[in-house]
Amino acid sequence: MVQSGIKSPQPYARMKARSTIDWNQYEPGEFYDEIISHSGRARPATRSLVAFIRKQTIKHLVSRQHAADLAIQEMGITFTVYSEGQNIDRSWPMDIIPRIIPLQEWRILEEGLIQRLTALNMFIDDIYNKQQILKDNIVPRDIINSSPEFLKECVGAKPRYGVWSHICGSDLVRDSDGTVYVLEDNLRVPSGVSYMLENRAISKRVLPQLFDRNSILPVADYPSQLFDMLVSLSPRAIKHPEIVVMTPGVFNSAYFEHAYLAQRMGAELVEGADLVVGSDDKVYMKTIRGLAPVDVIYRRINDDFLDPDVFRPESTLGTPGLFRAWRKGNVGLANAPGAGVADDKVIYTFVPAIIKYYLDQDPIIPNVPSFLCVNSKHRKYVLENLANMVVKPANESGGYGMLVGPASSKKERALFAELIKKNPRNYMAQPALKLSTAPTLCGNHIEPRHLDLRPFVLQGKNHYVTAGGLTRVALRKGSLVVNSSQGGGSKDTWIVDTEAS
Amino acid sequence: MLSRTAERVYWLGRFLERAENTARLMLVRHQAILDLPKEVQPGWEILLDVLGAHENFAALPGVANEKNIISYVFGERDNPSSIISSLTSARENMRTTREILPSETWERVNSLYLSVARRSTKDLPRGMRHSVLNNIVQSSQQITGLLAGSMNHDAAYQFIRLGRNLERADMSTRIIDAASAGLMGDEEYIIPFRNVLWISVLQSLSAYQMYRLNVQRNVSPQDVLGFLFQSPVFPRAVAHCLGEIEHSVELLPDNPPVLKAVVKVRRKLQSKDFSDQQGAALHDFIDELQIQLEDVHRAISNAWFSPGES
Repeated sequence: MVQSGIKSPQPYARMKARSTIDWNQYEPGEFYDEIISHSGRARPATRSLVAFIRKQTIKHLVSRQHAADLAIQEMGITFTVYSEGQNIDRSWPMDIIPRIIPLQEWRILEEGLIQRLTALNMFIDDIYNKQQILKDNIVPRDIINSSPEFLKECVGAKPRYGVWSHICGSDLVRDSDGTVYVLEDNLRVPSGVSYMLENRAISKRVLPQLFDRNSILPVADYPSQLFDMLVSLSPRAIKHPEIVVMTPGVFNSAYFEHAYLAQRMGAELVEGADLVVGSDDKVYMKTIRGLAPVDVIYRRINDDFLDPDVFRPESTLGTPGLFRAWRKGNVGLANAPGAGVADDKVIYTFVPAIIKYYLDQDPIIPNVPSFLCVNSKHRKYVLENLANMVVKPANESGGYGMLVGPASSKKERALFAELIKKNPRNYMAQPALKLSTAPTLCGNHIEPRHLDLRPFVLQGKNHYVTAGGLTRVALRKGSLVVNSSQGGGSKDTWIVDTEAS
Repeated sequence: MLSRTAERVYWLGRFLERAENTARLMLVRHQAILDLPKEVQPGWEILLDVLGAHENFAALPGVANEKNIISYVFGERDNPSSIISSLTSARENMRTTREILPSETWERVNSLYLSVARRSTKDLPRGMRHSVLNNIVQSSQQITGLLAGSMNHDAAYQFIRLGRNLERADMSTRIIDAASAGLMGDEEYIIPFRNVLWISVLQSLSAYQMYRLNVQRNVSPQDVLGFLFQSPVFPRAVAHCLGEIEHSVELLPDNPPVLKAVVKVRRKLQSKDFSDQQGAALHDFIDELQIQLEDVHRAISNAWFSPGES
């Protein structure tokens, strides 16, 4: 195929130049753009997308975006935000222009993600059992002892296959030189996978033409992969173990996803009050036929709330006795309690060493260089360079309690300096990366917006990585915050095989 | 099937049916204006009577005129029996059980809710009423049809069907009760219009055409009552609803206590003779019937929604 560079528009495009999309107006500047290269041309995997958009009028694209918004509203694809003490159900924001990753690059990332999760699971299993990595002084013992995510109740537990985090969502970002980094790992209850699936359903609805021209990896088998992984955790060797999804309830921000996954897997969606632990330390659910045994629980409820007998006694979301049933091996829990010890943002900085230690391999996907505030030299550097750093608390997610240096005010920086000095263990910092961009429909223009990627990795008896993942995009110009709770949007993510035709 | 899920889909069935019936009632009341001279038209308050919402409405500042009653019954979220409240509850019950329901039905319920929610903050002028209310009835029919045609007829389906038919039976008794209250007197001015009024009772249950087909006589009070209460073939007749309930109950586990409650109401209904029904006696009969329908609900709840707690 001849390079159809965007600086030499095809005759058709020139004819209608006035009304169709002009890529020459698109300026990603110093950032790496996922679709358009620095020379202003389409990247090899994005050519047919760029050519397609060039033939569209902005009016047509906007009408497709409206069709997508309407479909999202009618399908009831929502997420919940907490604002001013209220829960508000919002429609899921999705930009119709897909984000594209070439298959060859994806294969490497996939391998890197599996490598990472394998090592992290070995680490967690070690921490709760022999603690060899602490004895060998690879990870300082204090960091584990002071981690609120280290659950002493889990010491000595041996979940199947030595796997604690069965479902992991790691956030990947790309810097201006094109390098992809792992920004953080979510080993507890990562969410977003349903939106990945729904984004694909929506783009097939509104831009079906594009699917003919590209060889795009399908994403739809995630629920069955998840189901198979959960089945592999069943303590009973029976053909059809009972798998349930456990939700804190309809007020949880990810309730949509809990219901969605239960539906797609044909599993019961249960709340804590639907389950009981019998005097035999086995788990049952209350059904119209009385009590029925439960084998595996995909729990979407935090450790703290899981079992009021062991953790927060006032919690009404969990089920008394659940932890005991798990310790006795009578029920599979995904993810296992205590898995969060490895997604502490301070532990994150040790992941390359952890991979080396357990697998004797170099990490395939690098970490973002990080500074631990507990280390006095690092802390000094962070405090002196706050305006260029992103500061994160060790145990928050959803983008809460973060300082984004380049976008912060002097007052916010002063506040964070105080916070860091008061509790250095709780903070780590990274240089603010120049996050990559992709063309995004903003009103009546196509403009570059920053984005990241959250692929989902499964580990039970086997491994599985989603084909791509959830691309989150910061909709505000120049913003680096992609969280949907903070005004972020999303894109369908395509892994495109350029060698297939 | 989880007890909690069973309970929620049961209420989904009830609230959808309630919204549909309320819309039907408003439609018929709306059409009656066009047929009858003002002095014989039943007041708009009849809507409040049917829904048992008189006291709550009276506590509000507005006067009981057409505009206020319509808004109250259609779009008032503080009125638990308004159409918008029923649809809100139906949607909420569905939102929390959507994993077991066909996804198109959720899309239909959601978009019905959204269209009524958008409308509910405004008045419902006469010119728009027919299309808005008719849309509710049609959407609700469409949802029922989708469920019947695309969902496994498993336990979950039986619970929806139970909810729908119990609510329908209850609503039918309320409509007959409220409508016949004004029809039983012998006031001279009513007599020439009595037929039209009884026809409008039939119409509010979409029963007129089916009545003619089935009864093949002129409209008379005892025939109308007999048809609406006892017809085994008309889907909105109380006896037919009870037959549906009985059929669903038979398909569910551990059913004897519920079956007993259903059979009790059905027997009472079958043995009733409506030829000498006077106003107060009819009202008392309907009251007893409603209490027994409530017993059926309680039996369902004890048997399946709260295992080990009864």
